[in-house]
Amino acid sequence: MLRLEDISLNLGDFSLDRVSLEVRQGEYVVLLGPTGTGKTVLLETIAGINHPDSGTIYLKGSDVTHIPPEGRHLGVVYQDYALFPHLTVYANVAFGLKLKGMTRGEVDRAVREMARFLGIEHILDRRPRLLSGGERQRVALARALVLDPHMLLLDEPLSALDRLTRDRLRGELKRIHREIGVSILHITHDLSEAFFLADRLLIMKDGAIVQEGRPEHGLSRPKNRFVAELLGMENFIPAETGPEGGLFLRGLGICIPDPLQDSAKRPERFCLAVPSWAVDLFPVNENRDYLSRVDMRIVGLDRTESVMKVHLEHPQGARLTAILSWREVSGLPFPLESGKLVRVGLLGEGACWVPDD
Amino acid sequence: MNSPTKPFSGRKGFKLAFSGLSLLLLILVSVPLLRMILSADPEALRSAVADREVMDSIFLTLRAALWATVVCTVLGIPLSYLLARWNFRGKSLVQGLVDLPVMIPHTAAGIALLMVYGRSFFLGKALEEVGLDFVGTELGISLAMAYVSLPFLVNAARDGFLAVDPKLERVARTLGASPWQSFFRVTLPLAWRPVLSGGIMMWARGISEFGAVVILTYHPMTAPILIWERFQAYGLKYAKPVAVLLILLCLLIFALLRWLAEPRKEG
Repeated sequence: MLRLEDISLNLGDFSLDRVSLEVRQGEYVVLLGPTGTGKTVLLETIAGINHPDSGTIYLKGSDVTHIPPEGRHLGVVYQDYALFPHLTVYANVAFGLKLKGMTRGEVDRAVREMARFLGIEHILDRRPRLLSGGERQRVALARALVLDPHMLLLDEPLSALDRLTRDRLRGELKRIHREIGVSILHITHDLSEAFFLADRLLIMKDGAIVQEGRPEHGLSRPKNRFVAELLGMENFIPAETGPEGGLFLRGLGICIPDPLQDSAKRPERFCLAVPSWAVDLFPVNENRDYLSRVDMRIVGLDRTESVMKVHLEHPQGARLTAILSWREVSGLPFPLESGKLVRVGLLGEGACWVPDD
Repeated sequence: MNSPTKPFSGRKGFKLAFSGLSLLLLILVSVPLLRMILSADPEALRSAVADREVMDSIFLTLRAALWATVVCTVLGIPLSYLLARWNFRGKSLVQGLVDLPVMIPHTAAGIALLMVYGRSFFLGKALEEVGLDFVGTELGISLAMAYVSLPFLVNAARDGFLAVDPKLERVARTLGASPWQSFFRVTLPLAWRPVLSGGIMMWARGISEFGAVVILTYHPMTAPILIWERFQAYGLKYAKPVAVLLILLCLLIFALLRWLAEPRKEG
């Protein structure tokens, strides 16, 4: 469907560095990266708003690198939706159809059908200014989808919404994708959004794609610490090669077997990355298969609405964060409080080593 | 949009000081105009209206300034858009050039215009040969008015275009609009109020122009020149009714146009 080959572009503050990627027919691809990494520049380059310095963009097999945006048939939805404020919702959705030279009847039929599909029939006469965030997003989607685009490009479409609306609308995006089958490239900095929606995940840093894979695979083997942190890992323990190909964890003073069982590829300097959900407090799960068990002191507690974050410190200097659900917390035979010494288990599942950069 | 506030009502000193100073300035502006209008002798006004020379000069002034504004709007919109959207080498120089007529004395501007559009220069001579005579004609009045009042239009229109989110134009392009369609269907409909408001300012500034016009075209006489001539030749008593008439007419027209350009609340 869409293929980028070595796209480079220098815009001063933002640049793209030999970006290559592919979105296959019907695929939902999420491009994940921190703010300011050039995600929007890349999206606008695909849309034809930016002209790359070098590289080629293929859409449905043809080279569209030098074709202006109006010739690419791609639907774009921006973070703030960019609805035309001087037009009603109806006229916003009809904008592209009218440019195509369709008759009034054809335009009306297409607008109303799309409005029904997205549940915005009741607001067709309103101005964008008077709509809620969720309604605006639906209108922006309707305006793009009504033209039956080759694919949808979504630029942080959920970031401007409150949490409840966001959760509802990401389900809506999934439904649209499933029912229309349109290929989607969705850019975001939000990890849970990426995991919820993506068939495939691309990770971007400083204008370049640094890793790609299925969400579940991305977690098992991040290429470097940046990717691991972006994927939500919080625990990094400096390590070195120990006896029998195992890892010696400085700061915890223990040896563990290599969770990846791949000592040949280990760089000279690396650390063990452990997701917070893979750090257990005893006796939460006594029967699990741990890499190791150590005694650590609780040095801080952070509450959220669904989990408790427990910050732990080892006498030899290592610091870890454990995440416990409220159910797990209430099942503990002792209260969680700062200064308490607890036994900690590191799960091999999800743990991996990454180059220490 | 800023969210509405209901400030704490104590500590009124700040608001009071600012209101007081603003009031002082408003008095400075309005008192001379009010005094002039209120002291006008209705009989003298009636005879001014009946005076062919006065009415001709007033209509000539309004017409010449209107032409200057219309032509400059057509030429000035592209320049304003360019200044709002594109970054190019020498942009600040272009912006400075646009503002220049506001800084220089208008009589000096008139002399500069005379040197280019007068018969002594090849351009003026060539234009005269194709029937465009700028000295002592209505065309010359429009030219002088346009030259010194153009910045009001260009700057207002530029600010208007700046206020239109470029993302709207980009979205229009992805929806199939050419750059022209995106400009005429999205950008201009969103910026027309500031553009119109700039046009009104330019027209107003053109009507009041004296210095540049008097150098390029003394005759036919625009209203400001007629007022000046009557003041010089016959004194205040004869200049005043013309001045009052011009002010009243201008107030009426501008109130109407301002009302048109004012953004209104939509349901």
